This record gives sequence, structure tokens and C-alpha cells, in this order.
Amino acid sequence: MLSRTADSLYWMARYVERAEYLARILEATQRLTTLPVAYGGESNEWESALATAGCANAFFAEHSEANEETVTAFLAFSSSNSSSIRSCFESARTNARAVRTALTMEMWDAINGTWLELHRYGNSLSSREAFMRFLRWVQESSLRFDGSAYRTMLRNDAYWFTRLGVYIERADNTARILDVKYHLLLPSYESVGGPLDYFQWSAILRSVSALTAYHWVYRDSLKPWMVADLLILKDQMPRSLASCYQNLARYLDEIARAYGRQGPAQRQARILRTRLENSRMDEIFQGGLHEFIGDFIAANNQLGGAISTQYLA
Amino acid sequence: MRINIAHETLYRYDRPARAVVQTLRLSPRNHDGQYVTRWRIEASVDSRLDQHEDAFGNIIHVFTADGPFNELKITVEGEVDTQETNGVVRGAIERFPPSMYLRETPLTAPDQAIVGFARDVWRTAGADTLAILHLITQRLNTEFVYDTNPTQTTTTAAEALKLRRGVCQDLAHIFIAAARSLEIPARYIGGHFRRNDGVITQEAGHAWAEAFVPELGWVAFDPTNGICATEAHVRVAVGLDYLGAAPVRGSRSGGGTETLSVAVHIDQAGRQSQG
Repeated sequence: MLSRTADSLYWMARYVERAEYLARILEATQRLTTLPVAYGGESNEWESALATAGCANAFFAEHSEANEETVTAFLAFSSSNSSSIRSCFESARTNARAVRTALTMEMWDAINGTWLELHRYGNSLSSREAFMRFLRWVQESSLRFDGSAYRTMLRNDAYWFTRLGVYIERADNTARILDVKYHLLLPSYESVGGPLDYFQWSAILRSVSALTAYHWVYRDSLKPWMVADLLILKDQMPRSLASCYQNLARYLDEIARAYGRQGPAQRQARILRTRLENSRMDEIFQGGLHEFIGDFIAANNQLGGAISTQYLA
Repeated sequence: MRINIAHETLYRYDRPARAVVQTLRLSPRNHDGQYVTRWRIEASVDSRLDQHEDAFGNIIHVFTADGPFNELKITVEGEVDTQETNGVVRGAIERFPPSMYLRETPLTAPDQAIVGFARDVWRTAGADTLAILHLITQRLNTEFVYDTNPTQTTTTAAEALKLRRGVCQDLAHIFIAAARSLEIPARYIGGHFRRNDGVITQEAGHAWAEAFVPELGWVAFDPTNGICATEAHVRVAVGLDYLGAAPVRGSRSGGGTETLSVAVHIDQAGRQSQG
């Protein structure tokens, strides 16, 4: 396969995953800000949504105040923001078109259909309800794309490169949520945990669709270190860092096997996977949750870079 | 290096066994130098297989089967991708501080001869921990005769030293006893070794030792081969001695006399270049 083809497949999948993630954090933020002010606390949730999306700097270059209107417009519709939902879908479609022949009909339909439908939405939406519907639609579009890839693609390097894109992006996203909210997950915080924290913790879980999963796994009320455990170390949880790396190691291994050659990307993914597998939450807290997540984000970026140099350039 | 491993344990009972309970330490874990790409355990009879983790972090499976059966075969089969780390073991599960591995066990209790051997090494090698460990490895490799006959799984380090012969397990025990008598934390490693002389079928797994070196961490020494662990070594279980890392321990009711045969096939999977 040409590096150019692999590159487009990888980025197509990454952009779709990122669009879904943006929809998830916007939904979670919307939910938090509709709580009574007494629960709302001091922090500006819209600002933290920007931080979680990793585009606070770009935002404040254009806007002076982070509120519902400016942030939703910037994260969902802005074409000057290269990682708004709109830009993500556009980039995904551009990449898909470049490798149209490597995709199945269903995948192309899913991504092209999404792109066409995107035009129906303007630059802002009349009501909160309409905006919530839009966020649902974004998540469903991503589901449709992911599902058609899963159901129709031949299991060869083309499929594996799309998976790498999905899991690198997903690991980054989950880590960013943890990075912005880590202070809420420290064990010392629990004793002072009030209703605000309960809503914050459940918002974190909701943003990765893990609220029900949490209760299934722990059968307990929300406790911050268990929230962290679920999102970092639990293999069963599909958006946990451990699960993402299980998959990255697996698909990189498939590629190595098919090409009869392996390199830094495989080694790095395995080392990170091993770290996640061999760590325990109390050790992570001891070494500092914030440091751990910071290191993880850096290492995940490094793996992204290694994949690029090894296969995509 | 991609290594294929198939480890088969076959029990034959002269009268049918009623029930068998075993603890299996047959599944390797990942660390920076090795990654398990595929692994499964199969038993020839209907059974329960519950996965747990022991205190050292080894994966153990508790195997229980109700008879009657005349034969029981447990096969583990899988593939491990290894990297050369020059014996340094990083990123492995560590549940205890290194000083815990100074603890003596009956199999590794040093007698006068072992203490003497260790002192002797220390006098030659000097105070450098790494030099001491290398010299122990070298001397065990050159002064001992590899011989499967005189020793059993219950042979202690002291007995093996007297015989000056033994198998990998005995050499690992002597290594551990000697290192610990010099206040160097050391532990027993059960695993597999891909031989480079073309021999694929082996009679048993391999064993070596790890010792804790300040600055470096745990370093693996294989006295049987006179080297540090290489990418041909697949690390499966850690323990204070053989008993803590034994691949299979268990008991049964019924069955009369049993005969046990073990076959291990270790082979390099299709070559892959490292780039």
C-alpha cells in the first residue's frame, strides 16, 4: 500500500473519531451548565470544554469570552477552527475521497452522506434542543461510519490503518478529559465531595459513555479513584487508555505480521500497553495522576509520530 | 524475535483419577523486553480454569477437573515477541521492594560451601555488584556439569553445589543463594529459552535468575548458558525459588501411580527484520 493511501485512511478515521469526541464533550458540558447555579461552582465549564478539546489558545485568539454561544459555535461549526466538528467531517471526507477505491461502498456512503447532511445545519442552531439533536446526529454519523468499516471492510492493512487512527485519537481524547478533570479524581478530594462533584464525576463518565458500565463493574456509588481506574486501567472499558492500547498493539502487530517487518511504532505501543497492564491505581496516584496523564499524552503523541514516520510518510 | 511456544504436560494414571486440582504458572506477562501476541491454555478434559494473579504478579490459573479420567493433557500454546535488552528487565510487574528478595527459602538456604563460594567470587570480582554477578554466572557455567540425572525438583542449592552437577534449576538456585549471601537481592525465573543449535523439542522449561543491581534495576542471568538473558529468553514466572515459580503444582485424589511427561516446543516464528 502507498504511504499516501495509508495516511488518508488513518486521518479519515481520526477525524471522524475526533468529531464524535467533540460532540460528546459538548453534550456533557451542556448538561453540567444546565444544573442549578448552586451546583455550578466557580469554574467556567465552557472554558474547560475548550481545554478538553485542546483548542483554548485558538479560541481566545478570536474571542474574548467563553460562553455557551461562542464555544458551541467555535467547537461545532467554525471553519476557522481546524478541529471543529464541521472541519473534522470535511477533512474526513477529503481524505476519504482521496482513497475512495480503498473504501467499501457503505463506508463512502456513510462519510459522504454525513458531509452532505452537514450543509443542512447552519452556523448556529436556533435552540438548545436543536443543538442537542445535532450532537446526537454527529455521534450517530460516527457510529454509522465505524459500523460500516467494521462490517464491510476486508481485514487487511487498509482496515488496520483506519483502526490505528481511531485508537490513537480515542486514547488522546480520553486522556485529555482526564487531564482537564484530574483534580476531581484525586483520592483526597473525595472527603470533600459534594453534589457538585457527583455531577462532575458522572459528567466525566457520561462523556465516554461509561456511567452504566461503571455501575456494572464496581457496583458502588461514584468514587473518584474508581472512575480513574475505569478510564485508565480497565481493559473491558472500550474507551479506557488500556483498551485503546490493547487494540493499538494488536493492529500494529497485524501490520508487522503482514509486512514481515516491525519497528519503533510496534515497540512503543507494546511498552505503553505493558505499562498500563502492569500498573495499579494506587501506584499511579503515588506517582501523581496529573504527571501520569501528562506523560501518557506525550507518549501517545510520540506513537502517533512513530506511526507517521514508519508508515505514512 | 518472534518465538512460538507449545508446552504440553501429559499425565497418565494407572487407575482413573477422581479429581485433580492444580495451580498453573504457564502464562507469560509483558514487560519492556517481551510482548505476548497470542496465548491460550487447553485441557483435554472438562474442567474449570480460573485466572488469578499471585502475590508476585504472576498470572496463575487454578485448574480443577472432576474425573474419572485416565489421562490428562494440558497444553499451552502461544507466541511471544521479544526484544534484546541485554538482560535488563524493565516495565515488569513489581509487587515488592527488592529487599524482599533477600529472603532465604529451604531450597536456597546457603551452607558453608555456598557462602565460601560467594566470598571467593567477591574477593576476585571486587565490590562491583554487576562484576560479582557476572563472575558467579561464569563460574557456575564452567565449573558445573549439566546433568539431568542426579538432581530432582527438591534438590537444594547446597546439595547441588556439592555434586557440582545439575540442571538449570539447580544452577539458578545456587546463583540465588550465593547472591543473597552477599546481600544482593535475587529471584528465581521460570521460562523458556529458544536454543540456537536447532533443537526445537525440549524436555522441560528453562530457569534462570534475576538479581537487583543498583542503578540498573533487575538484571537476568542465565548460569546454564553463561550469559545474561537475551531475546531468546521468554520470562514466564517469578518466585523466591523453584516452588514459587513452578509451572504446575497440584494434587489429586485417586489415580494410583501417575506418569508425567512434558514436551516443550520452542521455535522462532517467521523472521521479521527490525527497522
